[in-house]
Parts: sequence; structure tokens; C-alpha cells
Amino acid sequence: MESRTEFKIKSPPTDAISAVEFGPNSTQFLLVSSWDSTVRLYDIHANTMRLKYNHDLPVLDVAFQDAVHAYSGGLGNTLKMYDINSNSESIMGTHDKPIRKIEYCAAVNAILTGGWDAAVKLWDPRTPTCVGSYLQPDVVLALSVCGDKFVVGTAKRKVCIWDLRNMAGMFQRRESSLKYQTRCIKGFPNEQGYVLSSIEGRVAVEYLDTTPEAQKKKYAFKCHRIKENNVEHIYPVNAISFHSTYNTFATGGSDGYVNIWDGFNKKRLCQFHRYNAGVAALSFSHDGSVLAIGVSYLNEAEIPPGGNDEREIYIRYVNDQETKPK
Amino acid sequence: MGRKKKKQSRPWCWYCNREFEDEKILIQHQKAKHFKCHICHKKLYTGPGLSIHCMQVHKEAIDKVPNSLPNRSNIEIEIYGMEGIPPNDAKEHERQRNGGRPGSPSSGEDEPVRKKAKPEGLLGSAPGAMPTGSNMMPGVMPGMAAHPGMPPMGSFPPPMHHMMGPMGPVGPPFMGPGMMPGMPGMPPGIQQPVSGASIPPTRPLFPSAAAVSTATSTAVSSPLGTDFKPITSVAGGSIGPVKPTFPAYSNADSNTTTNNNIGSDQKVNLIATTSAAIKIIHPPEDLSLEEIRARLPKYQRRQTQETRTVQTADASQQAAVLQQQQQQQQQQQQQQAAAANAAAAFQDQQQRQQAALNALQQQQQQRFQRPPQAVMVPASAAMPVSSVALMAPLMRPTMTLAAPALIHGGNMMRPPPMGLPPGMIGALPPGAMHPAFAAPMGFPGAPMLAPMMHPRFR
Repeated sequence: MESRTEFKIKSPPTDAISAVEFGPNSTQFLLVSSWDSTVRLYDIHANTMRLKYNHDLPVLDVAFQDAVHAYSGGLGNTLKMYDINSNSESIMGTHDKPIRKIEYCAAVNAILTGGWDAAVKLWDPRTPTCVGSYLQPDVVLALSVCGDKFVVGTAKRKVCIWDLRNMAGMFQRRESSLKYQTRCIKGFPNEQGYVLSSIEGRVAVEYLDTTPEAQKKKYAFKCHRIKENNVEHIYPVNAISFHSTYNTFATGGSDGYVNIWDGFNKKRLCQFHRYNAGVAALSFSHDGSVLAIGVSYLNEAEIPPGGNDEREIYIRYVNDQETKPK
Repeated sequence: MGRKKKKQSRPWCWYCNREFEDEKILIQHQKAKHFKCHICHKKLYTGPGLSIHCMQVHKEAIDKVPNSLPNRSNIEIEIYGMEGIPPNDAKEHERQRNGGRPGSPSSGEDEPVRKKAKPEGLLGSAPGAMPTGSNMMPGVMPGMAAHPGMPPMGSFPPPMHHMMGPMGPVGPPFMGPGMMPGMPGMPPGIQQPVSGASIPPTRPLFPSAAAVSTATSTAVSSPLGTDFKPITSVAGGSIGPVKPTFPAYSNADSNTTTNNNIGSDQKVNLIATTSAAIKIIHPPEDLSLEEIRARLPKYQRRQTQETRTVQTADASQQAAVLQQQQQQQQQQQQQQAAAANAAAAFQDQQQRQQAALNALQQQQQQRFQRPPQAVMVPASAAMPVSSVALMAPLMRPTMTLAAPALIHGGNMMRPPPMGLPPGMIGALPPGAMHPAFAAPMGFPGAPMLAPMMHPRFR
């Protein structure tokens, strides 16, 4: 009944999906955080839910440290570590306000969290304690590791780049190239730059190197727009995920589409069919063979598209034609 | 260089001042950029042809040539390739290219070709790249920009001259946010009339005056606006001062979005209101979707039973919200809340009829939704496991309710949208607002309640 290339995950969360995240070295396990205050681990090979744990309030992000350790946080301000092997959870610490983004940084083996308290905190998984708190110019909306640096996108279109080797001060401070609120940031796997999306159907490709030659390469493009009845509807670009080997990336928008782009050649490689609600979260597996697509209505419009408040997670097996630069 | 002769003879587009390798490409360009119908995308041959087509086929009047410079948007003039260009303009163009041609010989040369190669509709089509204000030409009369259709005047500076600034290989001035200096293909002169307007040249953002003019121009051209491109060109043209963030992609397309951005830059707390032709699917506040969603009552930290019950008895929206909220709670809690809710509903039938019905619906739904939920945990625990690493732990029942309760109310960052205290909410049910409806509904509603209530008290 379900095609091989794409299927829905069984027993999805009961509220909107906030994040999906593949495990670091297998295509089998997928973490999903949700507004229903749960974090779930799915085995996508068997299409079963393997475990679930709760927060007391909606969870906004989740990250794998390694195959057996998950970190999650959300409106409850608390960062939780969950040991998948022992089925035990522990509280790492808190932000003063909700935690919006969680990233694992392999370069320094640390967890990064960004919150609405305008702080980015660095956590040592071994101790486990908060080893640093770094004030950002505004509420953190997006955060991504890029090699030994990380990029923070805040409200009011600020972008801050920090160097994990020297956290004494900000490495670079920029303003978003896009004129609207930053929605998502993802670092290139090749660590040269990052991709930033806004709520106004637009994506910018940026480079960390500030020399004019490098900066010349940066650009932005429009996407996730639909013309209906002569009105162009422009949707937030909620999610970005990189293919780890091809450096191509997928974007998901509130229009319900997923596009895959070749950022270096400025080409769109493919567009999937339209999903029944906006695409809220995306994650490529470590080898780029599978794309997890979290579909949820996020109250972006007055009424859900088609009156449909669907929340599903789709697993799509992608091929080189869809993801490899031509 | 030895290329002077070639350059002099290069065909150029009257509508956007761009130069081309030969007239065939110029004609292709004109058909694609300036003579394409924004409704059916049919490519016409001339401006008047487009105008007649739109009038006859689509019943729409077109007053400007799409993607044209403000002073070159006259749709009446019949131009096909290089034919039909007003002699004055031809002379002026010649004069400018001879006069102001210092340096960077190659950049102008390659632009059109490479631009052509870029596929429209993909990445290349969109970005809103335009030169920053710092590249503006001083000295152009401000009035010019405001008068589309006005022929170029003697005081017009050579377009190539300032063009070379932004487009040259080393373009430091526009290293501002979002530029793509490397991108070729900016039609020369797009910004020359534009730059005449009086804007602080160093600022890439826009003065409010620009916002006003945007709105106006957009509105004026709204018949055109059905197609993205025409409207842009029109808007971009008449809004001289708008200074682009992305210099490289400065074809007219980009202008639209840029223009529409103005509002957001002005009022930080609201997302730019949308024009007739463009609608950003996002709540008006410039907060992230998550921040807005987090304010929903159902995501607030667990409150005391009483407060909740009162809230429950509110309008249908809240009941729907509660429905989900309750799903997430433990069953016992759910039932208590629902029971209290039902009791409240009985107390005041007339007024709380609607709410009670909602509560019932929600109860019913819960009945259906509970089983899968209850099954979930055992199911996960008893799953056949294929991974050795995860096998042992996963066989154990998961501890789904182990989360320690946090007490401080940090998530109440922003107050709920309604100004009413929680207690007041229940006092303003839908029944109060629509007595006419409440009365008839109340009658049949009452008997219905009893049987439907029943399961709750079992």
C-alpha cells in the first residue's frame, strides 16, 4: 500500500512536529520532537516507534550526540539528555526562556543550545554541565554548527558567527542578507558557509570567508511561493537539511513543498509532491540516502491549508538524480 | 582593445538599456522580458502588440512595458529589436557609450550571454539583487525617475560610467548584505534613472517615502500585478530610491520583493503588509511561528484545576485547544477536567451550551483517540528489535512519565493574546454574544447532554 520511495511513519506525534533528526551513523533511527511534549525515537526500517519520553511542555528541538544519546529542549526551558541504551534521562540545565535550537558539535564534542533568552549555551556531555553562556543580540531563532564555528540567527535579522576555539568574543557579526525574519540556518558540510532562509520564501547562500572574492559568491533566491488567483502567496522556509556528501540541500516550506537545490550551481534539482500541510522539519540521513520530512501546520495562516491539520512524518528514499549536482 | 568597433555596433534594448551580441538575441530578450503576457505568458512581438493582446484576450489594460526602465515604459511606441527606437534615444545611447567607457571592457561584454545561459525559474530567476545605494549617480534630476515615459534628457549621465562601478570585477562598495557582485547580467542602466531620486546614498534600506510610493505604484499597476514580473518592473521603475540588497541580480524582478520589504524595515514589530498581488503567509507580528504558537493556552504551563475548568467552558476555539491539551495529559486529569467542565456546562445551559457541546465532542474524540495512545508504550516496548545496540534497553517498558515537573513559569514570556483575566473568559461564552442562536440551540442541547455525558461518570 505504501510505495518504496516514500512512506508515512506509524504512530506519529499527536501535535505539530518541531524537529526530525537522523542518527549520526545509521539510516535506521530517527528522533522526532513535537509540540505534544514528547520526543520519540523511530525505527524507520521496521516503521515502528522504539521509544518515547516526555517533557512537561512542547519540545522545540532535539539532537543526537551519538547513536545512543539524545538532547532535547523546548518551552520548558530545560535541556534533557536521554540515554537510549539505559532508557534514562537526566537534566543538563536550563535556559531562562524556552530553548529553540539544539546542535551537537563534533569538533569540540559539545552540545549547543540557543534560546529565546538570547543566550547560546555550551554544554559538556561528560560532566555534564553548562560550560559557557554567550549573549546574542536578540532572541535566538536559528543555530547551526559549521565546522569549528557556529552560526546564530536571531530576531531582527542579526547573524552572529562564533568560533568555538575562541569563545572570548564573537567571531563575526552580520546582518541577514534577507529582509525578513530569519527562519532557519544550516552550515555547509564543507564548512565554507551556510544557508539561511527567511519567512518570506527566500534563501541566501553565504560564505564565512570575508574576503571580497569569497563574498562575491554569495547570493539569494526566491522559492516556496505559489500563485493563486493572481495573488502570489509567499511562504516561510521552515527547514533546511544538507546532503552530507553532495553539499546539496533540501528546503521545506509552509507551502507544503520540499525542494532540493544545488547551491553551487544555482540549480534546483527537484521538487517533491505537495504535502498536506507545511513542511516543518527536514533531515537527511548521514549518507544522504533518506530524507525525513516532518509535515505540520504551524499556524502560519489563519486557517490550515485545505482545513487540514495534518501532522505526519514522511520517510523518502532519495536517489542521485534528486540530490546529486548535474 | 581593438573592440571598439564591435561595441559601437552592438544592439541594445531600448526598454532596459541592455546590450546584446546580436539583434536576434535582443529580439529574444525583448519577447521574453518586455513583450510577454503576464497572464498567459504568450510572447508578443511589440509593445502595442502586447497591449492589444491583453486588452482583447484578457480584458486587461497594460499601461507600461514590463521590466522596462521608468522612462522607457511607453507601451505605445512600436519597437522591434533595434527598429523603431526614437532617433533621439539612439543618439543619446551612442553618445553615452562613447563618452563614458572607462575600464572593465570585458564585463559588459559577457553579461548578456551569460545571463541568457541562466535558466529562468530556477535559482537564477529570483534573487533580489540590486546595487547598493553607494553606487548611485549623483546629479540626475530627481524628477526623472518619477516620470516614466519621459524621454531621456541631455543631463543624463553616461550609463556605462556608473555601471562599471557596481559591475566591475572588484566591487567593494556593495559588499553590503546580500550582494552577489560576481553575478553578471545586470542590465545597464536599470538603476540610472532610479538613482536620481534623493535617497541617502549609503543606506541600503529604505526611507518611508519609498514605502509609500511602492504601495502606490503597486496599487496602480495591480492589473498588471497578476504577473509577478510586470509588476516588478513597474514598481521598480517608479520607485527610484529603492536600493537593492543584491546588486548583481538587479533585473527588475527583484524589485518587487525588495519594495515590499520596506514596511518590515520600518516597523520592526510587524511584518510588511502585503500588496494586492503578494501575500506573505505568516502572522502579522514579526515573531517566529514558534513564539506565536507557544502563546496558545494549551501550551501554557499546567495550571490549577479550577482555572482550567473555567477556561474549558469557553468558546469553541478554546475547547478545541483543550482537546489537544487534554490528550496530552494523563487520563485521570482528563477525566477530572472534563467532569468539572461538564458540571459547569450544566449549571448554565443557556450560556454555556456551546461550550458544553464542544466539550462533549472533545470527549468523544478522546474516546477514540485514547486506545492508540494507550497502546503505544507497550507496543514500543514489545517491538521486535533488529538492532543489537538498542535491543536490551528497548525491551524494557519506557518511562514516559518520568519527567520531573518544573515549577517556574518561564514560558509565559508573552501574555496570552486576549486581555481578559482567566476568570473572565468563561463569562463571555458564545451564547452571550449570540442570544438568538443560543436559545434555540439550548433546548435540544440539554437532553442530548445527559446520554453523552454518561461515559464520563462511569
